[in-house]
Amino acid sequence: MNLSGIAVSVQPQSYNETMELLDALPGIEIHYQDTDSARVVIVQEADSIDAEVEGLKRIKAVPGVVVAELVYHYFADDQDTNSPTPPDLDTASGISDSVLQRLNPN
Amino acid sequence: MSISRRDFLKSNIAAVTATTVGIPVSQVVNAADAEQGWQWDKAVCRFCGTGCGIMVATKDGRIVATKGDPDAPVNKGLNCIKGYFLGKIQYGEDRLTQPLMRMTDGKFNKKGKFQVVSWERAFDEMEKQFRKTFAEKGPHGVSIFGSGQYTIPEGYAAAKLMKAGFRSNNIDPNARHCMASAVVGFIQTFGIDEPAGNYDDIEHTDTAVLWGANMAEMHPILWARVSDRKLSHDKMKIVNLSTYSNMCSDIADLEIIFKPNTDLAIQNYIAREIIKRDAVDHDFVKKHCVFATGPYDIGYGMRDTDKFAYEAEKDTQAKELKVTLDAAEAIGQRRKEGEVVKQGNTKKPVKHWMIGFEDFKKGVEPYTLDYVAELSKGDPDESLASFKKKLQELADLHIEDQRKVVSFWTMGFNQHQRGSWVNEQCYANHLLLGKQSLPGNGAFSLTGQPSACGTAREVGTFAHRLPADMVVMNPKHRARSEKLWNLPARTLNPKVGSHYTKLMRDLEDGKVKWAWIQVCNPFQNTANANHWITAAREMDNFIVCSEAYPGISAKVADLILPIAMIYEKWGLYGNAERRTQGWREQVAPPGDARTDVWTLLEFSKRFKLKDVWGEQKIPGLKSKGFEDGKLPDVMADAGKMGYSPDDSLYKVLFENDFAKGFKWPDPVAKGHANSTVEDLGVDWFVEKALFEEYAQFGRGHEHDLAEFDVYYRDDVRGLKWPVINGKETQWRFNEEYDPYCKAGSGFDFYGKALKALPGGDLDGVTNKEKTKLAGKAKIFFRPYAAPVEQPDGNYDMWMTTGRVLEHWHSGTMTRRVQELHRAVPAAQIFMNSDDAFARGLARNDLAWVESRRGKIKARIETQGRNRMPKGTIFVPWFDEGVFINKVTLDATCPMSKETDFKKCAVKVYKV
Repeated sequence: MNLSGIAVSVQPQSYNETMELLDALPGIEIHYQDTDSARVVIVQEADSIDAEVEGLKRIKAVPGVVVAELVYHYFADDQDTNSPTPPDLDTASGISDSVLQRLNPN
Repeated sequence: MSISRRDFLKSNIAAVTATTVGIPVSQVVNAADAEQGWQWDKAVCRFCGTGCGIMVATKDGRIVATKGDPDAPVNKGLNCIKGYFLGKIQYGEDRLTQPLMRMTDGKFNKKGKFQVVSWERAFDEMEKQFRKTFAEKGPHGVSIFGSGQYTIPEGYAAAKLMKAGFRSNNIDPNARHCMASAVVGFIQTFGIDEPAGNYDDIEHTDTAVLWGANMAEMHPILWARVSDRKLSHDKMKIVNLSTYSNMCSDIADLEIIFKPNTDLAIQNYIAREIIKRDAVDHDFVKKHCVFATGPYDIGYGMRDTDKFAYEAEKDTQAKELKVTLDAAEAIGQRRKEGEVVKQGNTKKPVKHWMIGFEDFKKGVEPYTLDYVAELSKGDPDESLASFKKKLQELADLHIEDQRKVVSFWTMGFNQHQRGSWVNEQCYANHLLLGKQSLPGNGAFSLTGQPSACGTAREVGTFAHRLPADMVVMNPKHRARSEKLWNLPARTLNPKVGSHYTKLMRDLEDGKVKWAWIQVCNPFQNTANANHWITAAREMDNFIVCSEAYPGISAKVADLILPIAMIYEKWGLYGNAERRTQGWREQVAPPGDARTDVWTLLEFSKRFKLKDVWGEQKIPGLKSKGFEDGKLPDVMADAGKMGYSPDDSLYKVLFENDFAKGFKWPDPVAKGHANSTVEDLGVDWFVEKALFEEYAQFGRGHEHDLAEFDVYYRDDVRGLKWPVINGKETQWRFNEEYDPYCKAGSGFDFYGKALKALPGGDLDGVTNKEKTKLAGKAKIFFRPYAAPVEQPDGNYDMWMTTGRVLEHWHSGTMTRRVQELHRAVPAAQIFMNSDDAFARGLARNDLAWVESRRGKIKARIETQGRNRMPKGTIFVPWFDEGVFINKVTLDATCPMSKETDFKKCAVKVYKV
């Protein structure tokens, strides 16, 4: 699971319409709204980092969104960070076969 | 995870995000983190020269979260997409954790396959091969490929070991490919390196002129600040000068697409307009500047022999010796079309002399709107009239009386066969207008790498440098360094070593036979790569590559050393605005990976003074006080200083009394570990000792750094040097802001280098007597010169290279982050759709890109973020599967030795 804190700036003129469109996007929650500066804080939940990035692209593509930037990245439970060493590794060397293979083409 | 915990996490994340970007929030967030057992600490981004601050959270020895640092003045809590994924770059599946050496039957064999070896065995072979080469070739038979991504302690240790220990100047950083032209521009113009201004110039200015700098992708956070300025300041204008349309054009007021190399002509047009419209700030110029110029026949930094050239590249290489001027050059250089010019000043391209204002006027006189527009219009589909109008607007913006102007540039100017010239020209125009060293007014050279400034340039990890802007050629500088380093006189080598590209040529012709690669990827990043790959694999040499991931350089090396990455060690970087920033070690390096500093210090233990401080041969050495071709035996003097011939370099250079005074553990560590200290098994703080010893060079010499501990204070986010009495310097050379300026001077360009010049006219020196120029800056006249290789009947297109937002450099780190990899998985050929159609190519087709030097294949992109004009393609270099440097040309600026990656001739055809 990946959680991102995203800071979004929107066009002041279409603030309400943009808020509705953002709210409708899957996996996101609007947590803070600062109407003075036309900025909002979104928290997005995604299964994988792939989905996280797709989600950001969707936010950026919403009409009325000027800037959307990732600020806070939580990935402690992300399986990707614990890439397990392949079961067939050469246990004596501690280096995986795939790495050695890449360094010794044919 | 329970629902309530997830909600709690999300609220926390939202609150932290809000406070980070300055949205008011009423709840307290810190308690939540502490409860989870997280430890937050400040750090610096691993990637570009912007130098954003980030916060890293660790728990149980792993990084669990990162966020932009709200207290960092550079980025105020924002990240770009690469910075956002910093917590993940060290966890790639193929991370190197064991030394690997090419072996056959248990012995080193250059043709063997990689096998795991112990560190001891690795160093044994490194030492054996080093001694063999050192005996055969002397100090200039060995080399280090260094880096603008070295931390300050790393670069300092490497430079000291090479120069003071091995007496070799063959250490040069990849920053040679990045900032060398900028450095020459600074030294020539101001006598001292690095920008006068700082990033706050963005919030003060009325105009941002981008010269071949795709800031939207390459310095995204700075671009965010420029965009903000545009949205909040009515007067603000942005000009994007580029050889193709890119993301900066999206919010630019003026987009100027120009032909390669014609930036030289456009800048002269601006200078001519400044004079024509009587906009010169004569008071400023008279008081603070002089005019200067130099020779034009300086070659193109290529080899001066075709002995190694492939048949196809001989015609380009021949121009290193002589060139036939084309019509445009003839006009711009006041000569005749068709004139054959022998390149007589390839050995002394930097020399220059003073001229008068009338000479300068005469020099820029040919650069009329008609001449420049016709020469430089880069988009065949744009009308000449429209282009002319844009050039006039560009001049208008510079000249408008109360309009503040900042010029930004990076690789478009620096990776240029006349890169030093275009850098000088930019300063020339700002100086003519008096728009320099003021808030929002000045020329701002942007740095590409995170510590090209802080380490490579300031520490001096270059073939010609010593710390604090000193140079090996200057006897006074060597004497000062010898004193600070406690070396006998004449230990240091006065002969400039080989620059980065030359080190490759030296490998090719067998002059260099031992190379250690640190924090860079030379075999992917150097132009005309087929030559160097062959040299590395086929010649009799020994190449060691310190790496975190198996990139191209690791693959062609003989020995791979697994290295700690950024948050696995203590370090400091210096960014583009002179801000030195530090971070603590956050997590331990994995497996048997070690820090670069550890590897340097361990290697130094293998050598005794008697191995290196005896007489040494240096082919070509000719220097006052030295016998030709050799360095003297300094053992007798060493003995007088209390050294013994059996003292190790480690004891002499590193574990000396000064260093041991910095005890470990140190309260500044706040409980953080230090894997260098642990692995060395010592009780002194290695990185701090290195930093403090290095800082002695600059303090009181215009490069003052604060004390190490200051950079680690909770309330400090780096400091811009010179730091005097705890106060950083915002704008240099301006008396109001810079304590080094003479009282009453107003502006004092106090740099000391190259401040005594003979006099002459546009064609040469006429009066050998030198005038002293203390406190002055130089306004250079430089002419237009045509690119050495241009499209022709056979290779009919321009090719330029560069980066993309999602990937850093050769992709060894960013391509291990799945999401960045998937965002841009492969390098593409950005091409104009008409050009593609004319060659029977459609979007996504596989095509060859071929030059005189090599060819690669990739897919065509006609609708990408870079919109190419007819006649030019763009291929980024991050993808080792699309190894574009096989195609590029190793022409360099002859003055800076920086490669021109931005223009060569290719043909594109369907696979």
